[in-house]
Amino acid sequence: MSTYVYGIVRAEQPELPKETDGIGDPPQPVRTLTEGELAAVVSDAPEELSPQRRDLLAHQHVLTLAAEHGTVLPLRFGSLSPDDDAVRGVLAERTGHYLERLRELEGKIEYNVKAVHNEEAVLREVMDSDPELREFTKAARESGGGTYEQRLKLGEMVAGAVRQREERDAPLVAEELAPAAAEASSGPAGQGWLSNVSFLVDRDDADRFVAAVRRLGEEHPQLEVQAYGPLPPYSFVERGPADGPAQ
Amino acid sequence: MTVVPPPQAQSSGGGSSSSLYDVLELVLDRGLVIDAFVRVSLVGIELIKIDVRVVVASVDTYLRFAEAVGRLDLESGPNKSPGLPEVVGQVTESGARGKSKGALSGAAETVSDALTRGREEGEKENEERPRRRSSSQSRSRSKESDE
Repeated sequence: MSTYVYGIVRAEQPELPKETDGIGDPPQPVRTLTEGELAAVVSDAPEELSPQRRDLLAHQHVLTLAAEHGTVLPLRFGSLSPDDDAVRGVLAERTGHYLERLRELEGKIEYNVKAVHNEEAVLREVMDSDPELREFTKAARESGGGTYEQRLKLGEMVAGAVRQREERDAPLVAEELAPAAAEASSGPAGQGWLSNVSFLVDRDDADRFVAAVRRLGEEHPQLEVQAYGPLPPYSFVERGPADGPAQ
Repeated sequence: MTVVPPPQAQSSGGGSSSSLYDVLELVLDRGLVIDAFVRVSLVGIELIKIDVRVVVASVDTYLRFAEAVGRLDLESGPNKSPGLPEVVGQVTESGARGKSKGALSGAAETVSDALTRGREEGEKENEERPRRRSSSQSRSRSKESDE
């Protein structure tokens, strides 16, 4: 029976409530494996494990609970150990390293911030800032939409202007929120967002960070900004390039 | 988990499972990897990597933008109705970029497609728009809400 590993905590950290549900259907009960100063939050692995929504949410849920009780090093989804002893072995072997990471992340949480363009707001901005384009649009409309070539030309001009604004606005989230955070890390790229950035924030500074997010949205009405957190520090658990996607 | 919504957010959108949903890419793509452990195969998950962000230079995109500005009420202020519903719907379906209001839901759909692979089709259909509705058991609605 393999062991599914959620995360690593300090041994002294209070255990999760007994009834905490892990992954699987029916959910496997979550338990703790202690080795010296460290402990791993684990459960039995279900017979078949695949990245489905229910299990991803369970993984997330367990780690969120663990983070509420202290500091956790979250493992990436789907980490399986052959058995409990192998988990203890890893903890024993790398105790110094994990303790260092736990110290580093103590009292810190992750916020993930995503921004998209409000398309209508951006199109308005484009129209407002380019009288020529505006006239072109009106003319096209008055002639019933214009010919295919005219529409193509108009669309090309608009697309170009929108693209420029994407380039202009994409760095805004990282730039404007960095001062309110301890560290930043670009989220996985290319999923339909203008920007997707995670920030490591001191728990004590969380209110200030959230206020900065609100301000960002208010000051840039063409952006729709959404922040998710507090999260376990997924994006900051590994020492490495502080920025840039992990591949 | 707290969600800080955009100031002009159309729905309250804070149901905790739907907001967890919006950060699932972190669960899949971030977090500690320990080489002594095996990782479950993520076959199919590549789907969420599809890049739908940038404005792509293509005839379709141009025509869509031409149509979009054509619909824009050039005389009015910024607080007009959301607009562009057909355009948005169409674009989302074809997997291109260009969500306006519901951009995050579009992204979530992509994730959802990946996550629900291997599950029954009927079930999948119900999960496609996790963020349209703010809360809970959205099992059997969502069709009419998107028009």
